[in-house]
Amino acid sequence: MEFTTAQNVIFDAKPKKFIVWLFVVSSTIMFGGFTSYYIVFAASKGKGHGLVLPDMFMYSSLVLVTSSITLFLASRALKNGEISRQRLFLWATLVLGLVFGYMQFSAWSALYQSGAALVNNNAAISMIYIVSGFHLLHIFAGLCFILNSLIGISGEKAIYKQEIASIFWHFIDILWIYLYVFLLLNS
Amino acid sequence: MSTISVHDTHQHHETFLSKYVFSMDHKMIAKQFLITGIIMAVIAMGLSILFRIQLAWPDKSFPILETFLGKWAEGGRIRPDFYLSLVTIHGTIMVFFVLTAGLSGTFSNLLIPLQLGARDMASPFLNMLSYWFFFMACTIMMSSFFIQTGPASAGWTVYPPLSALPKAISGSGLGMTLWLISMVLFVASSLMGGINYVTTILNMRTKGMDLWKMPLTIWAFFLTAILGILSFPVLVAGVILLVFDRSFGTSFYLSDIVMGTEILSNQGGSPILWQHLFWFLGHPEVYIVIMPAMGIASEVISVNSRKPIFGYHAMVYSLIGITILSFIVWGHHMFVTGMNPWLGGVFMITTLIIAVPSAVKTFNWLATLWRGNIRFTPAMLFAIGLVSFFISGGLTGIWLGNAALDINLHDTYFVVAHFHLVMGSAAIFGMLAGVYHWFPRLFGRLMDRRLGYLHFWVTFICAYLVFFPLHFLGLDGVPRRYYAFTEFEFMQKWLTVNVLVTWAAIVAALAQVAFLFNFFYSIFKGEKSTQNPWQANTLEWTAPVERIHGNWPGEIPTVYRWPYDYSKPGAETDFIQQNTPLSETMSSNMPHDFEGNVEAEEIQKAWDAENKIVE
Repeated sequence: MEFTTAQNVIFDAKPKKFIVWLFVVSSTIMFGGFTSYYIVFAASKGKGHGLVLPDMFMYSSLVLVTSSITLFLASRALKNGEISRQRLFLWATLVLGLVFGYMQFSAWSALYQSGAALVNNNAAISMIYIVSGFHLLHIFAGLCFILNSLIGISGEKAIYKQEIASIFWHFIDILWIYLYVFLLLNS
Repeated sequence: MSTISVHDTHQHHETFLSKYVFSMDHKMIAKQFLITGIIMAVIAMGLSILFRIQLAWPDKSFPILETFLGKWAEGGRIRPDFYLSLVTIHGTIMVFFVLTAGLSGTFSNLLIPLQLGARDMASPFLNMLSYWFFFMACTIMMSSFFIQTGPASAGWTVYPPLSALPKAISGSGLGMTLWLISMVLFVASSLMGGINYVTTILNMRTKGMDLWKMPLTIWAFFLTAILGILSFPVLVAGVILLVFDRSFGTSFYLSDIVMGTEILSNQGGSPILWQHLFWFLGHPEVYIVIMPAMGIASEVISVNSRKPIFGYHAMVYSLIGITILSFIVWGHHMFVTGMNPWLGGVFMITTLIIAVPSAVKTFNWLATLWRGNIRFTPAMLFAIGLVSFFISGGLTGIWLGNAALDINLHDTYFVVAHFHLVMGSAAIFGMLAGVYHWFPRLFGRLMDRRLGYLHFWVTFICAYLVFFPLHFLGLDGVPRRYYAFTEFEFMQKWLTVNVLVTWAAIVAALAQVAFLFNFFYSIFKGEKSTQNPWQANTLEWTAPVERIHGNWPGEIPTVYRWPYDYSKPGAETDFIQQNTPLSETMSSNMPHDFEGNVEAEEIQKAWDAENKIVE
């Protein structure tokens, strides 16, 4: 019977991109929850983390901003139809993302060696690990998006895959800048 | 989304697994959510009967309890720590698994694509994941009944330090860990669902379906999903910190604790911060529970009164008002935490303002019923029941919102009575109204009316018998969550009332057997339904009864009018479906129907002149 045949729905990228945007919103709010905790904690105790943040966080921020630029270049290459350039810049973004991850680990190790461990009687210091840790989980998800774009680079959904990778990666870039500036200002 | 033509169809082989288990069809996922929700509701109801037995007969032994519960009911009496587990898991299941996932999951999934004219959700795959995350959350939560230390027992709000110290009580151990894992999965499920609902509503409406032509059900699901997206992530943030406190030794919520003779090393944290993070979700959560039920009631009351909903725009704006206000009232759960009285005053004012949109909704439902051509279907009775519970429970909300009164009533049975009426019973009645109303759309058959009436009247009367007397216990200062009323002299006089309440709860539980039988029997043996059994206007009743992937064969219907053209003067029937063009209803068109389309107005004028209709 005609009714029981499945209909081949034509792929529509617009709603799917909207889903990524809404995920960005809900993720922002989770970090908003962490930083709200920090603000109320710091206000009621009259103290923040009280540390000079390791320089590594500054260098890693620069790496992350650079990765956003390479991803932007990849998008532009796609627009101009230069697949090999797009592939090159996607790989560059991927590598920079991994470097960022490595640098976050070394920043944690610097923090730990200075005596500011995760398990701490100042919850503001523990919070540095929490926000940077959960940000790093987002970086991992972002790397998956970029890999997804690399794999489907010559497929029919290439534009869509590049777009969602861009939305997400630029988001986690801006998110990190927010977190870093927040931690700098609320020491 | 009408880009699909029948020529594109290809034979799709459906196996049992792809059709019933890992289905990506929104109608099947709705059924999965509904049936899982019903099973969880039955379990949570059973738990409530167990602790009601303890409350009514604290000194009596029931050997049968020991037979079934083993060490949790040694000597035929519920153990105190198990009693706490029972109230905790009852609350968690009812609030999250039944009234959030069971309610939104069922009706948002079923109705959003069908009432808006979409083939399916924006992402059917995420939709499927959403159900399976929910299923895993349910399984993990239930598994905590089968571990040595028992389920979580810190109350459904899991306040630290009780929840943050695994050794505090037996329920703070593995049971609490399972509770947290289950909730993380549940929130993931809710977010996947909510993101899908919002995306579908904003991007995939059929031609002509502008926002102001959407049924109130869709408005309610839309705003509920937005609430979820904006508030659940905050709970995740709070839960993550709690997990770190429990398992890694951080001090986010812990400070100055002595356990036995041991002084714990945790310093500097504050349990009040958990309450802030929890209630920033927790308060919107009660609107996540009630708003879909409100949307369902609006639709059911309008259809069965054969009248347009009174104040459609006011209904939408009041929902928007509730959505916004619900984010700035969480402090009213925390009046006794030593909150600055000035801040308490702010939360009190915002809380009391919510009474305004709530009252708008209530008066509009009553005005819709007023002089309607009412059809008392079971769905209609349950929708009216929602209005009743919402009024009687809502009025006590005005008491509790007052800081000066709340400081006396906080954590007493008055609060229990209030929220069980206003969000418990009201939301459950909205859900049941939805089940009776859309059962034909789900299964192509009708539920039995007489069993429906029996179910309604017994449940309605017993719900009042259960919850109304609890107000008076609260006014007398009886605290919630206490194990035995025999332990305190001032509480002993309430023992007889507890016996009445428990009997009423048992009768109400038995009445649900009528529903369960009716539901499962009618799936297979119910009377076959016609395509539009309630003569309703919305698009879901234009789709064929047979389950087809993509909902409509061929083109999706176009929408020409709002969903509430019931008993329109001059019309031939007392309902005009949304996909009926204005050109087919020349005798009933009103000037505002044309929305400024001058050409159409001219045609109408010519028709009126020809048919000698005096303006």
